[in-house]
Amino acid sequence: MTNISEYKDFEVNSANLKHVRTFAREVFIRSEQLKSYQEELVLALAEAAQNIVKHAYNSEPTDDTMRIKINYTNDGLLTLELFDKGKAVVPENIKPRKIDDIKPGGLGTFFIGQIMDEVIFKTSKIDWVNHLILKKQF
Amino acid sequence: MTYKVTEENNIATVFLDGEIDMDVTDKAKEVIIPLIEAGKEVHINLKDVQYIDSSGISVLIESHQKGEEKNTRVVLKEISKSVLKVIMMAKLEQILTIE
Repeated sequence: MTNISEYKDFEVNSANLKHVRTFAREVFIRSEQLKSYQEELVLALAEAAQNIVKHAYNSEPTDDTMRIKINYTNDGLLTLELFDKGKAVVPENIKPRKIDDIKPGGLGTFFIGQIMDEVIFKTSKIDWVNHLILKKQF
Repeated sequence: MTYKVTEENNIATVFLDGEIDMDVTDKAKEVIIPLIEAGKEVHINLKDVQYIDSSGISVLIESHQKGEEKNTRVVLKEISKSVLKVIMMAKLEQILTIE
């Protein structure tokens, strides 16, 4: 089992989402376990990053960065963390799409919930406003 | 993402290529929606799309709904394995027209 702990900062804009995916793929490929589930994990992480661009910053231009941390321990626990300085998230307002609700939008949170085991929102992190934690136990 | 459009009779085929995310959805819509609004049957070929996220899926939903509104078919063709996985995760395989 491979222990992994990596982080990288990205400017908050939609053009950087592909760089978020590249970073995630480069990290996930280092573990056979994560590699086998790579594209689903990339999707979950990229959806969370997209939510920062879309909702924390309303897709408006900014010089702010977001930080993405990937941690994988030898007990098989994957933790993805996203930090940003955008508008504070109100966790009660975030609801995954209902299964029979066919409309554009609202799918990102649904995907994250399908792929990951646990989603935790924090707002008290020093130096950041929002701190999202996604966990999956392999 | 890159794209190519071919037209034959009243069928327009849009070949999408690459990764479809929030950064390129406006471009994808700008290509697909006017064809539907013009009353053409639109085939969206997804064989060369390696990645799609919720924004890209939203383009497929909007195209499907616009097709219903304009009473014309919008068909997803040759869907790549990775895209089909996301469509199924969204539970849309029974809603969207797939051939």
